[in-house]
Amino acid sequence: MRDVLYLAWRYLVYHRLKTAILVTSIMLIIYLPIGLNVVVEQSAEHLTARAEATPLLVGAKGSPLELALNSLYFSSEHPELIDYSEATMVADSGLADAIPLYVRFRSRTHPIVGTSLDYFSFRNLSFASGRPMAVLGECVVGATVAESLGVQPGDAIISSSETVFDLASVYPLKMKVSGILQRAFTPDDEAIFVDVKTAWIIEGLGHGHQDLARPEAVSGVLSRSEDNIVANASVVQFNEITEDNVDSFHFHGDLADYPLTAVLAVPRDDKSGVILRGRYTDAGATSQIIRPVTVIDELLDTILTIQQFIVAAVIIVGLATIATAALVFMLSLRLRRREIDTMLKIGGSRPRVAAMLLAEVFIVVILSSTLAAAMTLVTWRYGPSVIESFVLA
Amino acid sequence: MSVNLLKIFACVLAVAACTQDEPASEDTEAMQGPPRVYTVNYPLAYFAERIAGDSVKVVFPAPAEVDPATWSPAAEIIADYQRADLVLLNGAGYADWIQRATLSQSRLVDTSAALADRLIPVVDSVTHSHGPGGDHSHQRTAFTTWLDMTFAIGQARAVFDALVRLRPENETDFRERLTELEKDLGELDRRLKVVAERIGDQPLVFSHPVYQYLVSGYGLNGRSVHWEPHETPGNDQWRELSNALASHAAAWMIWEDEPLAETENRLEAIGIRSLVFRPCGNRPAEGSLVSVMLDNVMALEQAFPASAL
Repeated sequence: MRDVLYLAWRYLVYHRLKTAILVTSIMLIIYLPIGLNVVVEQSAEHLTARAEATPLLVGAKGSPLELALNSLYFSSEHPELIDYSEATMVADSGLADAIPLYVRFRSRTHPIVGTSLDYFSFRNLSFASGRPMAVLGECVVGATVAESLGVQPGDAIISSSETVFDLASVYPLKMKVSGILQRAFTPDDEAIFVDVKTAWIIEGLGHGHQDLARPEAVSGVLSRSEDNIVANASVVQFNEITEDNVDSFHFHGDLADYPLTAVLAVPRDDKSGVILRGRYTDAGATSQIIRPVTVIDELLDTILTIQQFIVAAVIIVGLATIATAALVFMLSLRLRRREIDTMLKIGGSRPRVAAMLLAEVFIVVILSSTLAAAMTLVTWRYGPSVIESFVLA
Repeated sequence: MSVNLLKIFACVLAVAACTQDEPASEDTEAMQGPPRVYTVNYPLAYFAERIAGDSVKVVFPAPAEVDPATWSPAAEIIADYQRADLVLLNGAGYADWIQRATLSQSRLVDTSAALADRLIPVVDSVTHSHGPGGDHSHQRTAFTTWLDMTFAIGQARAVFDALVRLRPENETDFRERLTELEKDLGELDRRLKVVAERIGDQPLVFSHPVYQYLVSGYGLNGRSVHWEPHETPGNDQWRELSNALASHAAAWMIWEDEPLAETENRLEAIGIRSLVFRPCGNRPAEGSLVSVMLDNVMALEQAFPASAL
């Protein structure tokens, strides 16, 4: 038997190009549906887990999917904004704890999540080093952010401008890292967490500037009366919050009108959750409440439909490839007629010659299957990361 | 449609990148001992101590020498506030460091929230404008709310409600102690009303603009200057007082603390006597909020005795 395998192996090695093409084709046919299935199952499992851990989301009326993806996974597309008063209303209802979310800005590719301290306890996030943000301008970074940016508590991170070409937009804010989260293997690892008020400062809704009543600000003052000072745009606004200038930071107007992307509502119990949802059934309401798990289930249904289409396409292509491979083997047999005759003439029995030819097919299939298994393993381990880098690039 | 589906699909695939294992879950801090209640001023700490007794640990971390209204705690102290089970706020813009700190909203209780319609705005704010934002002012609200004892009782009730939510099993005890506290504050209120009746429309001058709720609550005819008891007033401040006296002939100046003898003598020379009414925003060296307020009331009663009528 070893001689048969040896001859088959030597044949495949000699015709390495043809063998490589065959192995690759069959490997892809085996790998594609399995690898796709692995990725989708991982996605579905993770999506469902995160959604199930998030009871209710309040956001502006619009796409529930956009609201869920932005609030759960910090996707770059943010939903329509709601007022901070929505968070106060949820908290004041006594039915649920309200965790504000303002996921709009980024530092490079990392989302800046404006929220409150309650978010950390809600997600069971613990600190690898440092402490939670304590004052305006401080931030807490996820484990992946800390690794990729190489930051430690005490270092600084700068927010990115929303639009590169808007020269009149708000200056980037330099934020001090106060703590680093332990790896949670969730989108929280990729995020930079700030107090929601710091997010408002990034937007320019709150700011710190020179005291206009002081002499050093005189060059920026256009006019001054007993009860009003008008300054020009040259008045120095701080783009870093330090111990020296933090007292000058302030917000104008009513904070209740300030924007949020969502409010994460954590009901006291099931009944409270139902009552709270009932309060958002008014057709004229400008906000909506969603159960992320419902939205994600609908999303998964869509994904499974896509997956089924893709798998069906792969199966058709696979059948075509198998037919092509069979044709290649059959043509190969014709081309090898003289070689087979020679083997028979020098004493090779027909069964052994047939065994040798079958061994060639067997080796090709084994090689393809092994490679497909290896690829699936790699996909299971690294596939999502590679896809993520493509999506976020 | 197909583009949207592809976007959704790509997003979901990207999400899967974030997970391989279950997150390690662990409690960040094992809570031991009674719940910790942090406050932003001494009156609230006093209310909490009176109502809760030993059931909770009440912490008011401001150093003795600072005014808690304008104090800015270090980040480490803010971290202590973050770990508290309950943070009692005075409201009315008191301790505006709260606006710049990150605290868990679910643990904050604004003790004057239910009394918002009785808050007194400060009208001397200067507006400013720069850039496209238009005019804006840093509008302030008078914040020494507890000097009106009825307001203080309202705040004490808010403290009670918050403590009951924290320790519902102690509600009966808390209610009994609240009743005692209300009785003390009510007695102070009664005596203040009596002495205010005797003061009537007599003009008073306050050394600092922190007595708005005393003036409002008891119908006093007061006007404030901005003098510090332990600093010698400058010529501008004397001139300001003189201008005020032209239309407001006060015979008494009410101080936050004992004024310098030199200042007191100079005031006496122009016919103004001094008395001390301590707001007691910070923990007193001796006594308690009620005993300090009692001293304040007695000082007023001595200054405006019933026999003077």
